[in-house]
Amino acid sequence: MTSRARYYDGVTARALEVAVRPSAVELEISHADGVDVVARWPIGEIKILGDGEHEAVPPLGRGDERLMVEDAELRRQIALAVPQLAALGAAKPSAGGRIAIFGTTFAALLGLFWVGIDFGSEYAAALVPYPLQARLGDSVMKELVAGHQLCTNPAGLAAINGLANRLAKAADYGHPVKVTIIRGGPVNAFTLPGGQLLFFSDLIGKAHDSNEVAGVLAHEMGHAVHDHSMKSLARQYGINQLLRVMTGGYSDLGTVGAGGGLLLALRNGRNFERDADATGVSLLEKLGLRADGMSEFFADMQKTQPTDGAAVAGIWSTHPPTAERIATTKRPPTGQPAFSDEEWAALKVVCGPVKENNPVPDRLREKPLATVPNAPQAKEPEKR
Amino acid sequence: MTDLPGPSDTTPPPDLTPSRPVYDGKLAELYGIYFRHLALMVLTLSWSRFWGRTRLRRYLWSHFAVLGDRFEYRGRGLELMIGFLLVLLMLGLYGGALWAVWEYVLHEQSIPGLGLFDLFTFSLFFLGIPLALVGHYAGLRYKMTRTRWRGIRCDLGGSAWSYGVKATFLHLANGLCGQLLTPLMSVLLAQPRISNASLGTQRLEFAGRAGDIYGRFIGYYFLNILAWIVAITIGVTAAVWGGKNLGITEKELGELFTNFTPRSVLVLLGLAFAIYVLFGVMILPLRCWWQAYLWRYLVSRTRAGKVLFASALSTRQMWGFLVLNYLIVMLTLGLGWPWVAHRSAKLIAGQLWLYGAPDGASIRQPAERPPRFGEGLLDMFDVSGV
Repeated sequence: MTSRARYYDGVTARALEVAVRPSAVELEISHADGVDVVARWPIGEIKILGDGEHEAVPPLGRGDERLMVEDAELRRQIALAVPQLAALGAAKPSAGGRIAIFGTTFAALLGLFWVGIDFGSEYAAALVPYPLQARLGDSVMKELVAGHQLCTNPAGLAAINGLANRLAKAADYGHPVKVTIIRGGPVNAFTLPGGQLLFFSDLIGKAHDSNEVAGVLAHEMGHAVHDHSMKSLARQYGINQLLRVMTGGYSDLGTVGAGGGLLLALRNGRNFERDADATGVSLLEKLGLRADGMSEFFADMQKTQPTDGAAVAGIWSTHPPTAERIATTKRPPTGQPAFSDEEWAALKVVCGPVKENNPVPDRLREKPLATVPNAPQAKEPEKR
Repeated sequence: MTDLPGPSDTTPPPDLTPSRPVYDGKLAELYGIYFRHLALMVLTLSWSRFWGRTRLRRYLWSHFAVLGDRFEYRGRGLELMIGFLLVLLMLGLYGGALWAVWEYVLHEQSIPGLGLFDLFTFSLFFLGIPLALVGHYAGLRYKMTRTRWRGIRCDLGGSAWSYGVKATFLHLANGLCGQLLTPLMSVLLAQPRISNASLGTQRLEFAGRAGDIYGRFIGYYFLNILAWIVAITIGVTAAVWGGKNLGITEKELGELFTNFTPRSVLVLLGLAFAIYVLFGVMILPLRCWWQAYLWRYLVSRTRAGKVLFASALSTRQMWGFLVLNYLIVMLTLGLGWPWVAHRSAKLIAGQLWLYGAPDGASIRQPAERPPRFGEGLLDMFDVSGV
């Protein structure tokens, strides 16, 4: 039996139409007329380079030499004659079948991956050792406070840290909590990994009473006890991976991927805020403290900003609508004050005495800062 | 008197038989490979991409034939992964060195608001541009050295680093000159990519000169400015007129992107369509006109020994290549990638002409050894599809 093929000698770029005569020990390759032998390939030295799925014609190779048998029937005959080259005769897999199998597998894996991110991050965050979380929190805190003036009044810091640690104990948090206060605005607070809370003094300065500050602090403790900052990191990493594999790593899809990832992250952000609100209020109630401060603070925000930024932003908001938060955190004005009068007085001057000659301008009272907590903002640590 | 035959009588006319490459891949087969690649990417958290990319290349290469002989791709996923890990290691060392400088030299003079991470990201952004260009050339070299035709290995000589420096300088200079150096940059960067390429011992030659294409470019340049002015004028006029007639208030305009109602979605769709039409009708065709011309010029100034090249790529085809392909990939979130690769391979096969055939006996294997690993920089700074 002879079969026609193209032979390349591996030394030059000559292409020869050849006839191939397979036997149990060798392939005899001769000129197309079958007279002059061009090469004899011992069977043991022949390799099939590739396969029928990826190569149009899997080349036969011996070092740099190549033999290309285009005719599928002739490849099958060689495969039958030489058992070592049986793979050469393998039928091309059905494209439709492979699309169905791998397409379905891909879709199913994507679904599983998403479920894994959604639920897995809940548990993965708790598995991160606390010292690592604390170190991460420290490094982020360093970045955040760089260039800012810190408030250092010991009595004020003791008051807020005392309440924070009482709340932590009530929640069985199990780690010390540290509150750092930066002088100035915006009216905001953050929770970092490792039980680190960051407050801006404007939040304390603009609160109507100590219950409002206690409400905000309890909300931040809600973030801390639920490990929201670590969970956010885990989710963000998972979502990035998901988008990366979904798009096959195609670089131009970065923007689309980033947009999708942001939306998913924001959705999680809103859920975290709801959790933190609920936990904060229940912690205050558990300690028998007044728990109406949180809703009062939200109500103040609503007064200063009648157009609810979070409601307008909808799916683009990191926070739920303020009206919803007021309704869900509404509690009667009962219970003990969270801060004693002395503690509250010390906290009010945690950054030093109030300068009466530098009041908040009226325009700011009427038009609150754009960075109030319920304004849509992305890419920030857990914030109130 | 003896009639001696002149040289023209004895020299046989050069063989300029025209031929075109043939691409015989099937879209369904490509999708079968691609879906397997995606499924493995999910399972391995994208670490299988090196092997997936290799499989896709094997398919595309082997379904592409010139003068009846198919190309072979003999790269390996492991080589790509090692290349990537080496670059990762380099970045790690760079990060370590930066940390040491930050900790022991700069820390005392810290700049407010600037942390170590900012410094790393910032410096990487500036280093990333030249490194991506170096990676582009090194990646091309890797692909060439893993490509065989008639059993002969292709090659790309020259230094990737000098290409990177040259390309960075030219991009910078072109940007500073308002893109007026584009023809010069195109020709100067095509020069090393083409004339350093070879099939075995047969090098490609490039005889392009920027002066040849400046006339067309200047025409494109000013037409492009004019087109932008007209497009913006039409756009602004239409928006103001349309806004007044549709009774859209300033408040509604502010809420367009945040508060989605059926009306705002319709307005946004209308706006997107209008921008697309203006941009698609006035700006992109002009750009494709220039790009098609540049491609035809670069191809026609390239030869491989006795083989000449030409292309008749039209503006419409370039539009399909640059714009439609981009839209396909974007709108399908990447799932349209095999379709794009298939379309592109068919376009190249249909629009590239070869005149003549190489003297196979005179082309031998290249003496240089191919690089052992590759594409790490390309993978790091420009995650390419294939």
